[in-house]
Amino acid sequence: MTAAPTTLAVPVPARRAPRQVRWLLRLHRPTVLVWTAFVLLTGAALLWLGGPLTDASAAAWKAYNACDYSPRCAYDQDAILRYKDVYTYTNVAVLVAPFLVAAWAGGALTGREMESGTARLAWTQGVSPARWLASRLTVPALLVAASTGLLALLHRTAWTAADGRVDTAKPWYDYATFYANGTLPVALALAGLAVGALAGLLLRRSLAALAVSVVALGGLWAAVHTALPHLWPSVTRTSDLGTGPAGTGIPTAEGVVTAGGDRVAAPCGSDTTYGCRAELADLDAVGYWRDFHPAAHHWPLHLVASGALLLLAAVLVLVSFRLLRHRTGPAARPAGGERTRTP
Amino acid sequence: MTVPAIEADALGKRFGRRAAWALRDCSFRLPAGRVCAVVGPNGAGKSTLLALAAGLLGPTEGTVTVLGTDPATARPEVGFVDQDKPLYPQLTVAETLRMGADLNPGHWDERTAARVVAGGDLDPNRRIRSLSGGQRTRVALALALGKRPALLLLDEPMADLDPLARHELMGVLMGQAAAHGTTIVMSSHVVAELEDTCDHLLLIGGGRVRLAGDTDDLLAAHTRVTAPARTPLDPHTVVESRTTGRQLTALVRPAGPLPGDWRTGAPSLEELVLSYLRNPGAPDQAPPPDTTETAA
Repeated sequence: MTAAPTTLAVPVPARRAPRQVRWLLRLHRPTVLVWTAFVLLTGAALLWLGGPLTDASAAAWKAYNACDYSPRCAYDQDAILRYKDVYTYTNVAVLVAPFLVAAWAGGALTGREMESGTARLAWTQGVSPARWLASRLTVPALLVAASTGLLALLHRTAWTAADGRVDTAKPWYDYATFYANGTLPVALALAGLAVGALAGLLLRRSLAALAVSVVALGGLWAAVHTALPHLWPSVTRTSDLGTGPAGTGIPTAEGVVTAGGDRVAAPCGSDTTYGCRAELADLDAVGYWRDFHPAAHHWPLHLVASGALLLLAAVLVLVSFRLLRHRTGPAARPAGGERTRTP
Repeated sequence: MTVPAIEADALGKRFGRRAAWALRDCSFRLPAGRVCAVVGPNGAGKSTLLALAAGLLGPTEGTVTVLGTDPATARPEVGFVDQDKPLYPQLTVAETLRMGADLNPGHWDERTAARVVAGGDLDPNRRIRSLSGGQRTRVALALALGKRPALLLLDEPMADLDPLARHELMGVLMGQAAAHGTTIVMSSHVVAELEDTCDHLLLIGGGRVRLAGDTDDLLAAHTRVTAPARTPLDPHTVVESRTTGRQLTALVRPAGPLPGDWRTGAPSLEELVLSYLRNPGAPDQAPPPDTTETAA
């Protein structure tokens, strides 16, 4: 028998990785283009919002407030409305981005390859399953983190520019604003990527994985939203019976304090009405209290929630690798010199 | 002694804890350099066996050794063509081959891959999604051959090829096997198409190996006999017997010399395989003859 030419090259991981990345980007070229367009459009809209639109709206509000009840008042109402509209659209775009990532990751990144069998093609074309998954997680993770990070940063910049100048600008504790204004869009997008990749591997069906990923990310977000008030110690503020519960921010709990020092649920808002005064007297209430997160808690809340999401994403990634190894058998032995080659 | 191309030992696979076994207690040894046919009915476990050898599935029990090592380590030297011939539909033919070259650095055989594709008169700028089934098979084979594997695993490779393409590609495969000593394992339903090309047979049925060995040895071990009806066939192992009128025809594995009054004949490979397929209850051949191993 003739001996086969020993063309077996020792794998060169350092050189092979960029090639894999190149083909990954080629395979997902339409997605990369659409995503780039989405990020550029939203980013441009946010820059427009934070610059000219905020200035125009602030000027309009200044003019409006200067009118001071005069019957004839001239101000640029269009500028105010345009600011509101563009703010809403861009805010939604930033919040939707993680769901787009999850849908793509579940539907196209792993689900489609498992369904059509191209994953197997890749695994028999010099890319081991673990490396296949690694490239499919790291490259998108870098791109997704960079792009959602940019959007969140631009969102925050635009919001900061209007804070205190545009009267209808959303306060920091408005939930839609809050979620878009920090690190959470990045963490949610990365969690969406991990959820999608795992769903695709598990379900091996593109459409099912897409749906499951989006729903799972929605569930994850709901969980974050539920846990949010408890992620950082809240601040308590007490106020007298006349003002009602005070302290603006993200509220966690509120009620009345009795003469005995007990905290009980408030029967009504303040003692300015006769009925409420009677009810408060019955309770022997001496003041209102409210637990809430003031503006200073914006970053702690974002960072703790993001940290939890990233931890979860890491666990999901680990599960994905385990699952793949379980399916495809043990990984290759480390390359050694004692390999025998058949003639 | 040469390292066998594939060696399975009590290999078993089931998908899910409560599912039926797709393959069970599968033991055989395929010497290197053979062209081996894997035959068996639908759902017999042929694809599972090939996927296990390619390192695409992990065994539930038992072991499979490929080219003297585990399937994952052997992967760079193993070419595989899946039954569905999966390819990235959005790439062109030329891009697909470039990808093969990129993902197999150091051992990519540009010429062979290009030759396989050129045989089909394919426009390299056409996208995979626009190709017919047979044309996709051609590209998939080009990818697997371009890797210049020591072991080539082909799952139903010829199923959607026209007779001309089938003939041509089989020629390419045999040329590859002859020139580089490539071991080729291909599964098929069509036994006739394997008869001229394969020198080793692996018959799988009901998730287990029923026959394994060199085709010549297997054929020599079986005899087609014709005898009067109701003749006891003991002590020979009966694979299949049929009585028509006053005559009995049977395929047996003789345990010793056959009586002189029986008419005997050598079965064709197709007859042999069909007899086993028609009779799932026929006794398996055991133990597998390791004639080539003892010779080596």
